[in-house]
Amino acid sequence: MFFLSDVLWAQKAGNPEEEYEDAFWPRTRVSGEWRTGLSVAVADGATESSFAGVWARQLVHAYCRGILNSTNLRDSLLKKQQAWARFVERKPLPWYAEEKVRKGAFSTILGFSMRDGDGKKSSGSWKAFAVGDSCLVQIRGETLLTSFPLSNATEFTNNPFLLGSKSEANVGIDSQTKTAAGDWQSGDKFYLMTDALAAWFFREVENNRTPWRALTDLDTDELPFRPWLNDLRDTHQMRNDDVTLYRVDID
Amino acid sequence: MVYTAEISRNNPSCFLFLIDQSGSMGDNFPGEIAKKKADGVADAINKLLQNLVIRCAKEEGVRDYFHVGVIGYGTSIGPGFGGSLAGKELAAISEIANSPARIEERTKKVDDGAGGLVDQKVKFPIWFEPTFSGGTPMCQALNNAKGVLQRWLAQHPNSFPPAVIHITDGESTDGDPSQAMSDLKTLSSNDGSVLLFNLHISSNPSAQSTAFPDSSANLPDQYSKLLFDGASVLTPFMRSVAGEHNFSLSDGARCFVLNADLVLVIQALDIGTRPSNLR
Repeated sequence: MFFLSDVLWAQKAGNPEEEYEDAFWPRTRVSGEWRTGLSVAVADGATESSFAGVWARQLVHAYCRGILNSTNLRDSLLKKQQAWARFVERKPLPWYAEEKVRKGAFSTILGFSMRDGDGKKSSGSWKAFAVGDSCLVQIRGETLLTSFPLSNATEFTNNPFLLGSKSEANVGIDSQTKTAAGDWQSGDKFYLMTDALAAWFFREVENNRTPWRALTDLDTDELPFRPWLNDLRDTHQMRNDDVTLYRVDID
Repeated sequence: MVYTAEISRNNPSCFLFLIDQSGSMGDNFPGEIAKKKADGVADAINKLLQNLVIRCAKEEGVRDYFHVGVIGYGTSIGPGFGGSLAGKELAAISEIANSPARIEERTKKVDDGAGGLVDQKVKFPIWFEPTFSGGTPMCQALNNAKGVLQRWLAQHPNSFPPAVIHITDGESTDGDPSQAMSDLKTLSSNDGSVLLFNLHISSNPSAQSTAFPDSSANLPDQYSKLLFDGASVLTPFMRSVAGEHNFSLSDGARCFVLNADLVLVIQALDIGTRPSNLR
């Protein structure tokens, strides 16, 4: 079994690249023969909060290193929260930035891990966990097999519950943490998406279209990523927001 | 006319505050000897500006999502900022963030995440001190605001429509302001008409704190009713945000509050994802 994972991302139109506040891990394209398993993650730092990009990056990195998961979320978050606090306290801030830091940063997290089956190498299991509205879909052939944690466009709002960098913001987090698990087969495709792209994806599905075909073809000569994205934004088919697409293809 | 235009640094919106600084604002609130209506006005505008700045703040500074003006009216009518902003009709929100007259440190109770409350020191910037003198030339002030916004809209035709936040006791001394309020609301961008919010500071003993009513039936006097009638209707998005804050508002809910907090209006501006657990 051979797999390929890669990522496409873009900051909100009109913003400089350094203001991109989504995050993903691993940072580079990974491909090869299956060995010990694969973990990838995306996160979406909330515009409303400060130092949200830093927080989102800490979360995806922690997930892929195995120190953040749904079973020890509170404890494993604590160390990340302390790391975030150390980062933001490095220098004095003006009154408004201080107030914003006091409220903390917020981000979604979507972590996805795959394991090989018992030596079969043509099938296996996967599991995922999510807080917020970053979404995972599983495509098998021409079928949308799994949507997680959301599955239709109307579920997206501009005030989701997110992981806070201050523990007091995470009251009720247990009920907001979603998990899923399933099987994979050779030929399956998994897409991890932040909210603007995911909302577009589900809207397309609801209109009896097959948006996964475009996601598969993206970043080829026939369908370059940035012009495709700009067109969707310009025609108001996709909300203007940071966009991240993590693709995992299994041969 | 849908109030859906993106608010961004490339396409900013505008807030214009109209504050009543007339002599009648020196009256005390009933039962509160130490608190004058002018104190209520200063509290309201300082809190609104603080919230607006914080909503636009990011780690690198304050993003200029808004242009902000303040018109004070009482003995005279004109731009209300002091210090380095004195005389400016409108200023970028980042300039306002960096120019408070002073910054107080206050203590407030916050949730400790474990079911208790702890004291936390917060910085509270002061731009405006309580002030009151002269008549209440409300009609002139509203006409002045119309001129400011006409000029701004000519330069920002595709913006999210400007919001006017009018803080007053309603006791106009230069005539009935109904027509002037109506004229202000006829101004529009391609995305909708100017939104007029009236915050009524009342010392009427019958005044009950009220927020975003859809009828004037229970308002205490003609000043309240006049300000209710002049106020815009809340946009659907603002109503939905109000719903998230446990308000149950009808389609006819007005941009009007009586002796109540208007900070919800700042929370109800769509400038990006606002986590439900951000307080």
